[in-house]
Amino acid sequence: MATRAVSNSSLNPVRKIHQSPFFESRLFFYLALTIGLVFTLLPFLMMIISSLKTNTEVLRVPPTFLPKNPTFSNYITIFNDPKLPLLRFYANSAFVAVFNVTATLFTSALIGYMFAKYQFPGKRILFGWFLTLMMIPSHITMIPSYLILAKLGLINSLWGLVIFSAVDAFGIFMLRQFCETLPNELLDAARIDGASEWQIFIRIVLPQLSAPLATLGILGFMGNWNAYLWPMIVLQKVEVRTLPIILTWYNSTHTGQGALVMAATVLITLPILLVLVYFQRWIVKGFVTTGLK
Amino acid sequence: MKKILFVLVMASMLLAACGGSGQVSSNEKVTLRFWTHTNNAFNAGYDALITAYQTEHPNVTITRESFEYDLYLQTLQTAMPAGEEADIIQLFGTWTSQYFERLAPVPAEVMSVEKAKELFYAAPVGGFIVNGALYGFPQEFNCEYGGVLVNKTMFLAAGVTYPPQWKTMDDVVADGRKLVQKDASGMMSVAGFHFTSADPIAFSFLAGIKQRGGDYWNTDHTGFTFNTPQAKAQLEWMVNAVQSGIIDPMIFNDATNPVIDAFFTNKAAIGYIGAWAIAEGKTNFPDFTDEWDYIYLPPIQGKPVFVADSGWGLTVSPNSKNQNVAWDFIKFATTDPKNALSWNLASGTIPAMPEVAKSAEIAAQEPWVAKALDILPDGEYLGNMPDRDLVMYEIIYPRILEAMQGVSSVNDALATIDTEANSTFK
Amino acid sequence: MNLRRKKEKRSKGGLTIAKRRFVLGITIPLLLYESLGIFVIGWAFVLMFYKYSSGRLGGPILGLGGTNPFVGIDNFIEMFSGKSVEANLFRVSLKNTLIFALAVLPLNLMITLPLAYLLESIGERFKAFYRTIYFLPVLTSSVGVALIWLSMYDPQAGWINAIIRLFGGTPVSWLSDPRAGFAGVSVAMWAVILAYLWQDYGYNMVIFIAALQCVPQELKDTAMIDGANRWQTFTKITVPLIRPTMLFVCVMTMLSSFQVFDIIQVMTNGDPGNQTQVLMLDIYKNAFRYQQLGWAAAESFILFLLVMGVTIFQMRLLRTEWEY
Repeated sequence: MATRAVSNSSLNPVRKIHQSPFFESRLFFYLALTIGLVFTLLPFLMMIISSLKTNTEVLRVPPTFLPKNPTFSNYITIFNDPKLPLLRFYANSAFVAVFNVTATLFTSALIGYMFAKYQFPGKRILFGWFLTLMMIPSHITMIPSYLILAKLGLINSLWGLVIFSAVDAFGIFMLRQFCETLPNELLDAARIDGASEWQIFIRIVLPQLSAPLATLGILGFMGNWNAYLWPMIVLQKVEVRTLPIILTWYNSTHTGQGALVMAATVLITLPILLVLVYFQRWIVKGFVTTGLK
Repeated sequence: MKKILFVLVMASMLLAACGGSGQVSSNEKVTLRFWTHTNNAFNAGYDALITAYQTEHPNVTITRESFEYDLYLQTLQTAMPAGEEADIIQLFGTWTSQYFERLAPVPAEVMSVEKAKELFYAAPVGGFIVNGALYGFPQEFNCEYGGVLVNKTMFLAAGVTYPPQWKTMDDVVADGRKLVQKDASGMMSVAGFHFTSADPIAFSFLAGIKQRGGDYWNTDHTGFTFNTPQAKAQLEWMVNAVQSGIIDPMIFNDATNPVIDAFFTNKAAIGYIGAWAIAEGKTNFPDFTDEWDYIYLPPIQGKPVFVADSGWGLTVSPNSKNQNVAWDFIKFATTDPKNALSWNLASGTIPAMPEVAKSAEIAAQEPWVAKALDILPDGEYLGNMPDRDLVMYEIIYPRILEAMQGVSSVNDALATIDTEANSTFK
Repeated sequence: MNLRRKKEKRSKGGLTIAKRRFVLGITIPLLLYESLGIFVIGWAFVLMFYKYSSGRLGGPILGLGGTNPFVGIDNFIEMFSGKSVEANLFRVSLKNTLIFALAVLPLNLMITLPLAYLLESIGERFKAFYRTIYFLPVLTSSVGVALIWLSMYDPQAGWINAIIRLFGGTPVSWLSDPRAGFAGVSVAMWAVILAYLWQDYGYNMVIFIAALQCVPQELKDTAMIDGANRWQTFTKITVPLIRPTMLFVCVMTMLSSFQVFDIIQVMTNGDPGNQTQVLMLDIYKNAFRYQQLGWAAAESFILFLLVMGVTIFQMRLLRTEWEY
C-alpha cells in the first residue's frame, strides 16, 4: 500500500485525492462486512439465547430478546434424560466419520497414486469408469443400496452405513492430479535403494500428499459428521443413530418445547463446530493449493 | 454308562411328550421380540402387562423395542421383506389391509372372527379383518371424531357460558368467535375453535358426510365418491366456519401450532382432538395451569354417526418361531378384561371392548370415555383403503386446508380429492 | 533374500513384476468392490421399470415380478402426462426444484462474490476472523440450521416477525401461508431459500477468496496506476481471471441445489401445500413413506438426468476454458 501512495503522489498530484476515498471505501467495506457478520451470527445467537429461556417464555408473544431469568434447566433436563445418551451418539457419529474419512483418504491416495504413476492395460477404461462414477449422484443408488442392506441384514448397523462409501471417485481424481506432480526420480531412487512399491507409497508418497489429504480429510469429516439422508434411511434404532438424526428425533418428540430443542441443538451442533473451526484453515489452504480446477 | 444314557433318553422323551406341541406351560425358554411405536403412556401400559405375563410364565421373556411413528412404517417395510421383524408387532388396525400378506392370521383355536366381532366395538376390530380373516386384536377405540378440549379459564374470562350448552355446531362456532384473541399487529394469538389439524379436518369431514346421509365409498368399496352433494355441503360448512373468524388456518394447522401444542400453550380455547391427546398434553406441558375439560360436540345433523380408524392393536409375524406363545400373550393382553383395562388406563385410550369401556374404573379415571359411551356404538370402521395415510393426510387434509385458506374453491377441492383418492386404487 | 539378489531381480527388467504385483493388489479388490457398485446401479436402472413395493412379496428374483409387475416405461408416461396424485406431485416437485436452483444461483453469486472481494480488500488483521465467522454456517449440521430458522420464522414468537413488527410492518406466516408470494414464488419457498443461502454462502465465499488471492497484485496495481478505479479494475481485470472459478462455483451451486433435501425436510417437509416440495424430498417420501420404490427409482432417474446434464455442460465449458 505504501508503494501505491508514493507512486500516486509522485506521478500525479491529482491522485492524492484518491487516497481519502480509499480510506472511506475501506470503512465502507468494513461496514458491509460487519453487517454481513451480524446477519451470519444472528441465528446462532438466537439459538443460544433461546436455550437459556423456559419453554413458555420462548412461546411468548411478542417475543423477548434476552431471557428474563436465564436458566440452564434445559441443559440439565437433557443431561438427565435417560433416552438421550449424548456421548453414545457422539461415539456413533465419530465412528462413522473417522472410518469413512480414513477409508476414503487411504483408498483415494493409493488409487490416485496408482493411476498417476503406473502404466497398465485397461488403465484408461478404469479411469474413465471412475470419472463416470464421479458424475453419478449418490441418490440414484440410495434405493437399491438400501434394499441390499435390508437383504443382508445390515440395516441398523453402523457397518452397513459405511460399507458403500469406502471409495470416493472425487478423492481419487484429486489425488491423482497431485501425484502426477511428484518427481519420478524420487520414486526410482527409492526403488534402487531396495524399497518395495508398498514402502514407497507409505514412506515417500503419503507424506508428500499431506496438504490435499488434510483438505479432503476435513471436508470429508464435516460431510460425514453432518450427513443426514443416508443415515436416516439405514439407522432406524435409536441407539445406533448419528447426531443429526437424533436432533430431528428429539425435535419431533418434544414439539411445543422450543427452548429444550434449542438446548439440544446447541449441544449437538456447537462442540463439533468449534472443532471444525480450528481445522477449517486447511480447507481454505486446500482450495488455494488445488488451484480450483 | 449305557444305563444312564438310556434313562436320560427316556426322560427327555417323556418330558417332550408332557410338553406337548405348543403348550405354553412347557419348560423350554422362549424369547419373544415385541415392537411398538413411541408413545410413553402406551409403552408403560405394555411394560406392566409384560411383567405380569412373565411372572405367570417364567420361561417366557419378552423384549420390547419402540420406534417413533414416522419411522415405524419404514422399519416395518425394511424388516418384513428381510424376515427380520419382531414376533409381536403393534400395528395400527387400518394399516392391516396393506400388510396382511406379511402377517399371521389369528388361529381359529385362539379366537374366531365372529367371536371377535362380538367382543369388540365394530370400528376397532374392523380394520384387523381382511378378506374375512382376522389378523390381530385391537386395544383402543381410536376416536378422532367429536371430542374437544375446552379451556374453562378462557371461557369464563370471555364471559362465555360454561359448561357449554351446545345444541348445534353453529352454537360451537358462535362461542368460538367470542373466544378469539388477536395481538397488536392483527395476527391471531388465541384461536377460538381450533379444528384445522389433519385428523380433525379429515374425521369431521367424513363424519359430516355420513351424518348428512351420504357416503364416501361406492357400493362395493372399490372406489371413493367424494364429489357428492353431502360432501359439498359439509365442506362449505367447514369453510364458512373458518371464514367467520374462529381460526386462522394460516398459522394454525397441522404443521404450525397443531391442536395439542396450541391448546396446552394457551393458544386455543377449544381444541378438536382425540382423547389420546390428553395424556400426551399433560406429560409434555406440565406448566399448563388453566382449568380444562374434554367434552363431545353435537352432530352437524341427525344422529352422531361417525367413522373411526381401527386403532392400535397387536399382530403376529408369520416368521415367528413361537407364534402360539405370541398369540397367547396377545390374548392375555387384549381379551382379558382386567388386563385390557389396565392398558387402557395407562395409555389414556378409549377401550376397544364395550365391557371394559363401561366399567366403573374407566368412568372414574377417564370420565371423558363415559361421555363417549353414547356415541361409540355409532362408530363405523373407516374402511380398508389401499393407502390410508396417503388418502387422509396427503389428499383430504391438504385440499380441505387449501379451501379453508382461500387458495382453492370448494368445488375444485372436492373434485381434486375425488380424483386423487380414486387414483390410489390402481 | 539378500539385497543383491533383490536388486538384480529388479534391474533385469523385473521392475515390472513388483509393479505389476502392486497394481494387481490394488485393482483386484477395487474391481470386486466396484462390481458391487455396478450391481447397485444396475438394480437402480432396472427398478424404475417396475411397480415395486416392499410391502408386497413379489417374484423370486430380488422381489421383481409377481405382485411387483414389470410396467416398462409406464412410470415415465404417468409422470409426465398422468393425472394421479403422484404424477401431480412429481411435476410440482420438478418445478419447485428448478425454481429453487434458479433462484439460489444468482442470489448466491450476488452475495458471495462481492463479500469475497470485500474480504480480500481489507487488511490482514481481521481477515481470518471474518472468514471464520462467515464459514460457520457451512460447518453446522443442516438439521441444526433448519431448526434454528424454523424457530426464527415462527409467525407469532419468531424473531423475524418480531423485527418486522418493530419496524411497523405486518408479520407474515413465512412457512405456512400458501397465499403469500413474491415475484410468483411462494413466501415459504423464499423463506427456505434464505435459510439455505445463509448456510451456504460461506462455502462459495471461501472459494472466491482463494481465487481472488491468485490474481496477481501487479496487474491490479498497474491498472490503478493507469487510472482505473476499483470498479473498472474489478470488472476488466479480476473477473476475467477468475472466470474458471466462477464457472466451477456456478455448476457446483446448481448441482447442490438440485439435490437439496436435509434443510427442506426438517423445515417444512414440502409444506405448505407442496409449495416447498422438491424432487429429492418427493423421491424420499415415495420410497420410504409410501413404499413405491419403482416410482421413486424412476424419479431418481429424472433427477439423475438433470444432474448429468449440468455436469456434462460443465465439463464441456471447463475444457474450453483450459484450452483457452
